[in-house]
Amino acid sequence: MNKGILSFHHVSFSYAPSAELIEDLNLAVDEGQFICLLGANGSGKSTILKLGSGIYTPSKGSITLWNKPLRDYRGKDKAKLLSYLPQVLDLGVPFRVRELVEMGRYPYADVPPVVGVADALRMVGLESKENSLVNTLSGGERRRAFIAMTLLQGAGVLLLDEPLANLDIKYQLELIRLLRNIKNVTVVMALHDINMAFEFDTVILVKKGRVLGVGTPREMVTEETLEEAFEVSLAIKRIGPQAFISYKAE
Amino acid sequence: MKKKILLLLTVTLLAFGIALFTGPHFISPFRMSGMEEEILLQVRLPRVLAAALIGVALGSSGAVLQGILRNPLADPYILGLSSGASLTASAGLILGSATFAVPLLAFAGAVITGGIVGIMSMRRGGIWPERLLLAGIGLGFLFSALLMLMMSLSTDEGLRRAILWMFGDLSTVEWSTIPYGLVFIAGGIVIALLRSRALNSLLLGDDLAHSLGFSPQRERLVLFIAVCLMTSSSVSLGGMIGFIGLLMPHIMRFLVGSNNALLVPCSALAGGSILMISDLLGRSVIAPTEIPSGIITTLIGAPYFLYLLKKRDILNE
Repeated sequence: MNKGILSFHHVSFSYAPSAELIEDLNLAVDEGQFICLLGANGSGKSTILKLGSGIYTPSKGSITLWNKPLRDYRGKDKAKLLSYLPQVLDLGVPFRVRELVEMGRYPYADVPPVVGVADALRMVGLESKENSLVNTLSGGERRRAFIAMTLLQGAGVLLLDEPLANLDIKYQLELIRLLRNIKNVTVVMALHDINMAFEFDTVILVKKGRVLGVGTPREMVTEETLEEAFEVSLAIKRIGPQAFISYKAE
Repeated sequence: MKKKILLLLTVTLLAFGIALFTGPHFISPFRMSGMEEEILLQVRLPRVLAAALIGVALGSSGAVLQGILRNPLADPYILGLSSGASLTASAGLILGSATFAVPLLAFAGAVITGGIVGIMSMRRGGIWPERLLLAGIGLGFLFSALLMLMMSLSTDEGLRRAILWMFGDLSTVEWSTIPYGLVFIAGGIVIALLRSRALNSLLLGDDLAHSLGFSPQRERLVLFIAVCLMTSSSVSLGGMIGFIGLLMPHIMRFLVGSNNALLVPCSALAGGSILMISDLLGRSVIAPTEIPSGIITTLIGAPYFLYLLKKRDILNE
């Protein structure tokens, strides 16, 4: 069968027939991979993640999760294998942090969690805010609370849409390390900050709903590829394993 | 969590007992004359049960509706069901239909309105909260206009009965309507309780609800049907009773939080209690004249709500 635990086969998607947002997309995500999606605004990163989570249904082609068509899964069964965290988190969530995090257990009826609520809160540094209302948290804290919920959900495939947005640099790095340290977890993350791409195994570069290329950060984050993806001239300076991206002087 | 529900359940049973045995005339549960027994069983019991059912239905459907619409200002009556019920019930009363047919007419009007609102709010295979709200408001206005047109053309006697009905008049409650109300309201509550996790998930937004394993569109439809059944039954049992559907869930949110597994049953029990007590006061304070219970409910509930609003700083606890 097909390679990869989450695979896109010739997937096209559009809201309106005239404008295809995603065109003939082929992707295979292997177990345990740590992947980022990189591309300009409107390149289709979020749409790809929503397709992968089953929120959107492809207009053409198919998506499989563990070699079974995504649309054949029951909601609860899929939720045990795959979870999705949207980029925009609702501001009006009326729950307390602990209540929100506990909702991560909803797909499981009676199975005890692998990661407890207290662990999940500690991992994201919110243990002191357990009883705060989510809508009183700062933007970064709110995002971390939702990440704790996702961790408690315990799915093997995490599709995260710009989870680093509104996080301090400390929490950006901590989140990446945290996700890397969870065993057997596969992460596909839409990414805004190109510098962070070097923390990943694989970079998928997208433009206008198509994949420009898939490879290691060193292969994919070059002046040429970035210019093609972002339509702007960038300069890359490498120091050891690090790379620094800046505007090219005119 | 269980403790809070048990406490409220005790309060509700207490309210039931007080509403049943006291009133303009106190009836001792231990020493009853034949006449008193007759009053208790044929007049008070159906009336108190109806008050309890209506309160339970409005309290819980308010909580559920505020969840599915993700709008804390939603009231079960905003769906236009009560306007539809008022239209059909008043048409019956004005045209001189028999009293026993009125609850049936009201229920039919409410359910049909619910169906129209549901269909109007459908888009791409699902119910959309904003459309639901707007369809309900639009249809409500239309039915109110038709109702007023009908009233302005009607005779005095029919008009008086129609207006009394709309005020929320529990004095005409008869045993015959109770079983139907009980079935639909209990059904609605059971659905709401079984889907309380889905309702919580909907509050996080559709995408996260999906990620947690729920189909947002399907859950909204099921919960909307539950709200329609409960609200329609309550309007059919006793007309329109304000305040409970909108503000009881808020009072309970102050007291027990927003988790719907707790909020829905607590709003239901508190709604039932306050309506039983309000109705008791309504028929007692200036007996034999009755004050419609909807007025009393609001007179008790609104100041308490405002007190909580002032006292509890909900944002910084």
